[in-house]
Amino acid sequence: MEGVGFTKALYAMIYREVIRYRRAYSRMLGSVLNPIIWLIFFGIGWASLFRDNIFRQIFLGLDYITFLAPGIVMMAIFSASFLGGVSMLWDREFGFLKEILVAPSSRSASLIGKSIGIAFTALVQGILILMVTLPLTNNVNLYGILPAIIVSYIVSLGFTSLGMAIASRMNSMEGFHLIVSVVMMPIIFLSGAFYPINGLPDWMTILIYGNPLTYGVDLVRYLLTGVYAVDPMLSLIGTILFTTVFTALSAYLFEKTTI
Amino acid sequence: MGRKKVIEVLNLTKKFGDFTAVDNVRFDVYEGEIFGFLGPNGAGKTTTINMLITLLKPTSGEAYVAGYNVVKEPYRVRRMIGVVFQDPTIDRYLTGYENMYIHGLIYGLPREKIRNRIDELLKFVDLYEFRDKPVKTYSGGMIRRLEIARSLLHIPKILFLDEPTLGLDPQTRAKIWEYIERLRYEHNVTIFMTTHYMDEAEKLCDRIAIIDHGRIIALDTPENLIKMVGDEVVYVRIDGQPIDIDKLRGINSYIKDVEIRSNQIIFSVSNSSKAIPTILEHLVGLGVDVQEVKYHKPDMGDVFLKLTGRDLRDDEGSWKDMVRTVLRRWR
Ligand SMILES: Nc1ncnc2c1ncn2[C@@H]1O[C@H](COP(=O)(O)OP(=O)(O)O)[C@@H](O)[C@H]1O
Ligand SMILES: [Mg+2]
Repeated sequence: MEGVGFTKALYAMIYREVIRYRRAYSRMLGSVLNPIIWLIFFGIGWASLFRDNIFRQIFLGLDYITFLAPGIVMMAIFSASFLGGVSMLWDREFGFLKEILVAPSSRSASLIGKSIGIAFTALVQGILILMVTLPLTNNVNLYGILPAIIVSYIVSLGFTSLGMAIASRMNSMEGFHLIVSVVMMPIIFLSGAFYPINGLPDWMTILIYGNPLTYGVDLVRYLLTGVYAVDPMLSLIGTILFTTVFTALSAYLFEKTTI
Repeated sequence: MGRKKVIEVLNLTKKFGDFTAVDNVRFDVYEGEIFGFLGPNGAGKTTTINMLITLLKPTSGEAYVAGYNVVKEPYRVRRMIGVVFQDPTIDRYLTGYENMYIHGLIYGLPREKIRNRIDELLKFVDLYEFRDKPVKTYSGGMIRRLEIARSLLHIPKILFLDEPTLGLDPQTRAKIWEYIERLRYEHNVTIFMTTHYMDEAEKLCDRIAIIDHGRIIALDTPENLIKMVGDEVVYVRIDGQPIDIDKLRGINSYIKDVEIRSNQIIFSVSNSSKAIPTILEHLVGLGVDVQEVKYHKPDMGDVFLKLTGRDLRDDEGSWKDMVRTVLRRWR
């Protein structure tokens, strides 16, 4: 890879995203609110209906809120990460992109740094939501929280990179939002965040197993509650693999970006 | 000329579709000079800069910046140059200091050195007191100054300034001119700048390339370009007093020609400020009652007019350029 100071450029972009995030409280609040509304109005509603113990076996032995909570956290992290790609379009709009493109440091370093920073801000949101959610759940494994956070971060970096890869091929916000909103809902629904993924129609099962988010959701649920649908080792490999591919793809596309 | 070339441009062309924005341009820039691209909106100035700074691939032709090929060795070129783009490229949510700090990092400078140089440069552009304010609170002129300071942080060999005073008020423009002039002495940098202001080009540049519709139509020092359109002219109003034209010849060596037209004497001179005092002295000696003295010094505007038949002052780009600009905004 060409260019000077890979780690410095990486650090510069992380630093920038973190400062920007700290200065935008409203953004943080807005993005935390939405998943909490889901959890309360969607989650408590169904949880009351599924209160009877006979339903537990559908949800792999958990009560519905405890089953849903990791899914909601992952939904929040996924949305914040994926939409984070739009920040590249803002940089294009406000000119900052040129500052990066004309610098002698490796463009990949700048891009990956940016993704690491945005993924980190998405993770912070996820942790906030997890903390709000925990009191509603039962028997969550507290020792699993730290590993779950690490896995969440890997997922977050993957989807930030995917958002960046899409954004680097776009030159309008409208185009980006169009693509992202079309694929975002299916990715969330087909990830096992809201309902268990065993015993579904074949076509759906295929889509679910092709969905990169599935592995992250299942692994985080396993770490927090001990239940899983996919072998946790397989989920970990899948998650790491997807993140590596998306990060490499975004870096490759960004190297070729023009103004 | 034995001077070292720091930019070498050979038949550079850029086409957008079948529209030729830069057409077979060829020029050299020498170490230590301020070289200007002067031309109306849409002439191809920014497109040329974008090719030289490795952000746009030429359709054909070659360019070398600091000895490196802009297409084949972009990372090497980027290390040698500083750029102030036509439109701001600052992060508005960060402070002036933070913007500079990030710049230093992505140019691979050691942290200690970055911190020291930021303060020095912010003082140079009189922004030191504003270093910790977010850039969104800065005025247009302050943003420009910050960008100039930022572009110097990594000590570039060649600085590209694209319309450095576009849209700024007269005082701010004068201030920026002052920085640019000091730059090359205090920071020892070669400057490639573009402008559509004639006064700016004439005042700052050692050599000017006049560009129109993507072509360089003239390239020389401002003095030589201006000489091309003719001499300076001194008008002395004498309101019909009788005078012998022969007595007006040979007053001094700056005078090239004299004629008398109804109520005024018209001198063509090579240097009006030197010629005027002796002319007046001579006329008073002849007992002539001088009513009024005026002179006209041709400027870059006259040069542009002569070369293109159009007035650069009125020429804010043709309507086609404007449509294109608007379309680009909405793309
Ligand atoms: N990306 C582009 N696509 C199509 N046309 C362009 C593009 N960039 C510039 N142009 C056109 O090329 C011409 C030169 O533009 P530019 O270099 O920006 O001029 P200047 O900087 O001298 O005002 C203009 O007519 C402009 O509309
Ligand atoms: Mg321009």
